[in-house]
Amino acid sequence: MGNQKLSTLCNESKFLIVDDFENFRSSLRLMLSSFGANSIETASNAEKALELCKFDSFEVILCDLNLGAGKNGQQVLEELRIKKRLKRTHLFAMVTADTSKEAVLGTREFQPDAYIAKPVTRSTLEERLLQLLSQQVHLKPINKEIDLENYAKAISLCQQEIDKGSRYRSWCLQTMADLYRKIGDSSSAQKIYTEVLSKRPIDWAKIGLGKTLYDSNQYEEAKNVFSSAAEQSPFLVEAFEGISNSCLKLGQKSDAQSALTQAVSISPRMVKRQTKLAQLCLENNDLTSASEAFRHAVSFGQNTVHEVSKLYLDFGRCLSDLALGDTSIKGDALASEASIQLETVLRKFVTEEEACHCANLIKSRILIDRGNKSPALNLIEKTHNTVDQAHMSAELGIELSRSLYAAGKLDEAEKILIDLSQRFAHDPDALAKIESVLDEPEPLEIKIKAKGLNKSGISLFESGRLEEAIEAFSSAIALTPKHAALNLNLAQVAIKLYRETKDNSHLSLAQQSLKRIEHIPEQHKQYRRLQHIRALLEKTKYEVK
Amino acid sequence: MDNSKSPSEVDFSLILASSVHDMKNSLGMLMHSLEELCEQLPKDNDQGLSASTIRYEAERVNNDLIQLLGVYRLQRKTMTAHVDEHYLDDILAEQNAQYSEVFKARGIELSIDCSSSLAWYFDRELLSGIINNALNNASRYSNKCIKLKAYEIELNGHTFLEINVNDDGGGYPEDILKLDPSDIQNNLNFKTGSTSLGLYFASKVAALHQQNEHIGEIRLSNGGDLNGGVFRLLLP
Repeated sequence: MGNQKLSTLCNESKFLIVDDFENFRSSLRLMLSSFGANSIETASNAEKALELCKFDSFEVILCDLNLGAGKNGQQVLEELRIKKRLKRTHLFAMVTADTSKEAVLGTREFQPDAYIAKPVTRSTLEERLLQLLSQQVHLKPINKEIDLENYAKAISLCQQEIDKGSRYRSWCLQTMADLYRKIGDSSSAQKIYTEVLSKRPIDWAKIGLGKTLYDSNQYEEAKNVFSSAAEQSPFLVEAFEGISNSCLKLGQKSDAQSALTQAVSISPRMVKRQTKLAQLCLENNDLTSASEAFRHAVSFGQNTVHEVSKLYLDFGRCLSDLALGDTSIKGDALASEASIQLETVLRKFVTEEEACHCANLIKSRILIDRGNKSPALNLIEKTHNTVDQAHMSAELGIELSRSLYAAGKLDEAEKILIDLSQRFAHDPDALAKIESVLDEPEPLEIKIKAKGLNKSGISLFESGRLEEAIEAFSSAIALTPKHAALNLNLAQVAIKLYRETKDNSHLSLAQQSLKRIEHIPEQHKQYRRLQHIRALLEKTKYEVK
Repeated sequence: MDNSKSPSEVDFSLILASSVHDMKNSLGMLMHSLEELCEQLPKDNDQGLSASTIRYEAERVNNDLIQLLGVYRLQRKTMTAHVDEHYLDDILAEQNAQYSEVFKARGIELSIDCSSSLAWYFDRELLSGIINNALNNASRYSNKCIKLKAYEIELNGHTFLEINVNDDGGGYPEDILKLDPSDIQNNLNFKTGSTSLGLYFASKVAALHQQNEHIGEIRLSNGGDLNGGVFRLLLP
């Protein structure tokens, strides 16, 4: 019995079987040893499998997708790849009872080398394993070079293989294109994709083409290619992710959010993508969707490489912002869910000093919002005294100032932000965040309202309805009094109206606006405009007189 | 995908689909236990035969369940073909491996005719499912031989891949030959077993494979190499 070639191949390999059912593990083990395998380990869940892979290197892993409670097979694969415990020369086969790949399709980098359908019978496994191991042995020289990061060498080996008329031509083309992208030769990769697509609309080539277009800043074209891939294969996660990335570059943030939402609904367990979606929702001021995405990220990320303090902090902050001012039962629930996340930071990441400071600061704002001002003030004061303000990160500084604002200590909060903006004058991302708090320290809901009023004020101004514009800007300022751009808008309209009406109340309105923002530092992006309007005001005063 | 409907909204097909999943899992356990039992048995012909009968029938049930799930996905429009280039001899060798023992026990010889350089574009899992089902079906009606062939053919000026399953049985009955496979939902006849479901599913899967204006299809006829039934699968 048995196949001589398979027997030799099996004999040379260490096997790992991962399945939650004893029945499956033992029958698979029997099959493998009947094929000639000598070294076979088994694991009943993801944690045990990952533990085994820490100390041992397996040439062949047969892993069930569904591993009961805890991580699934896809997450095992992801973690092995991220931690570089799985070499390219090794074979990871996903065993799945599901007949469709949709449930498991991840990005290319996290795809298994093969899918094997359950139930597995001895004779089919024998044939399939023979095919897979033969391929593995045949392509080993190429994969070895990839593992050694000799990409140019690997590319030329792929080309040789194709020139020989190899039956692994499709694999070689995909690999070559991937490697070309990796070494930054986008145009060679694009040539491969275009050539493949000239014959067949193959998914991997479409995705690849989209990525090379994106890499060369052709975002509109990339978006079109990704969209056509998504239309052809509505479960292609990477297509939606590609659409989302392209939209972001094109400044279409809300389209980016909806495309990424689709990607996430196809494959919800990808923690990285859930977190990305959550951040995008935050940028779009969609706190509710952000909290949902964070919730998924936290629940699927437990005990994985993705479980980091930042995830819990961001989730806790998002929930606490969502709960602010909401006195309903829902608000209470959000506040307590937020506290759970922050307590998790304090418990699980006790050695990360900064994360714990941030957690305490967010906690203090929840306490203030829920009417427990005195423990909150203690917490803030303690943190305020402990942190090294001259060297703290922008994140921690912002967190501290937000809590000081919430505690009513406006001057202290402002001082911290101004110091920060000087220290981070050369970091545009940090500066933008600092300025946004300096402008609008109030809760997000109010910010959004103020933003709306500002927008309608601008359009009223543009259509010449100055009185109404002043009204809109003034109501917005009532909500966010220190907003620089808003105050400058009001001052500008008031000056214009003063020139027309010579009504002194307009002049003083402009003066008050400029006074409210006299604190903004030189690095502030509205600083030059402030200088300009100040000069305009002086000139107008002189001319009208 | 998200199944977060409230219980009152759950429809029968969803319940059916989740039961089918469950049955498939149980069947898997059953088949694995059988493999273990077989390993322990002395290699004796009679037991070989009954084990192969269990394997064969289990495979039939498994195929039916896969088709049920497939039809459910087709209805919900959640089935797509993941097309890539594959070598036909790999696919056919796998089918051969699966059925050779069972066929041997039944006194049927399976022969395969396929060039080792023949490659085509299709969804591997879906296509294997169709061939598997066609072989399983053919084995019920053939006497001694089944022939599985794959080659390129010209149809209406375009090259197609043809895979066909020939048997030496009495051929398809007239009323099945007359059916338009894609219109089988109106003609499902459960008195004749699950054949119609298999044909329906196969034609739908074939149609998921498209190239420009050309669409995959299945055709049934009588005659062929073995003068019996011929199941033809054509992919653009």
